[in-house]
Amino acid sequence: MDDTLAQTQRLKAAIHFTTGQICQTIAADCGREFSRQTIAAIAETTFRQCDTFAKDLEAFARHAKRNTINMDDVKLVSRRSTALSTYVQEKSEELASAHQEQKEKRRKNTVKRKHQDTEGDTRQNED
Amino acid sequence: MADQVEYEFKKETISKLLTKSFTDNKTKVSGDAVILMCEILKVFVEEASRRAVKQATTEDGEQVDVEHFEKVLPQLLLDF
Repeated sequence: MDDTLAQTQRLKAAIHFTTGQICQTIAADCGREFSRQTIAAIAETTFRQCDTFAKDLEAFARHAKRNTINMDDVKLVSRRSTALSTYVQEKSEELASAHQEQKEKRRKNTVKRKHQDTEGDTRQNED
Repeated sequence: MADQVEYEFKKETISKLLTKSFTDNKTKVSGDAVILMCEILKVFVEEASRRAVKQATTEDGEQVDVEHFEKVLPQLLLDF
């Protein structure tokens, strides 16, 4: 279908754009310039690597008898490099603790609201 | 001191890209997994760039050319 082709082109363009940005940052850091073809080559490689990652993630989730890919699957995908898997582990812990904080805030807010409701009732009773 | 702007892949882009490659219609990705994948892909691009720069430096090239990237590509893919 033409839609799929157009969508692929759009995704490739998006990857190329961000890849270019990251490469420019590193170029500035290292004092070297990248040729346009190099950035295009890195973007294309990233695009294809993402396909490999996606199929791996799907296989891991299926192996765990799940339909939804979660952080554990991503940690497995990073297993080949120790540095990378440590980094992924740290990030996943950050995300998990951020979720925990959000839950705590919500609980505190509901408790606050309940207190306010009951206080309002007692005041009315006193009147 | 310039503030380093951190460029990242957009969650929406990566989510769509991953979903396109799935072989099963039922497969989905959790939001957190997408965030982590964005990080991994960013590291991939950074690693590819830095290795290419190193290769260019070793060969005393002015610019980082495709040839430099091609030489570091096999090891890069094996390491990931």
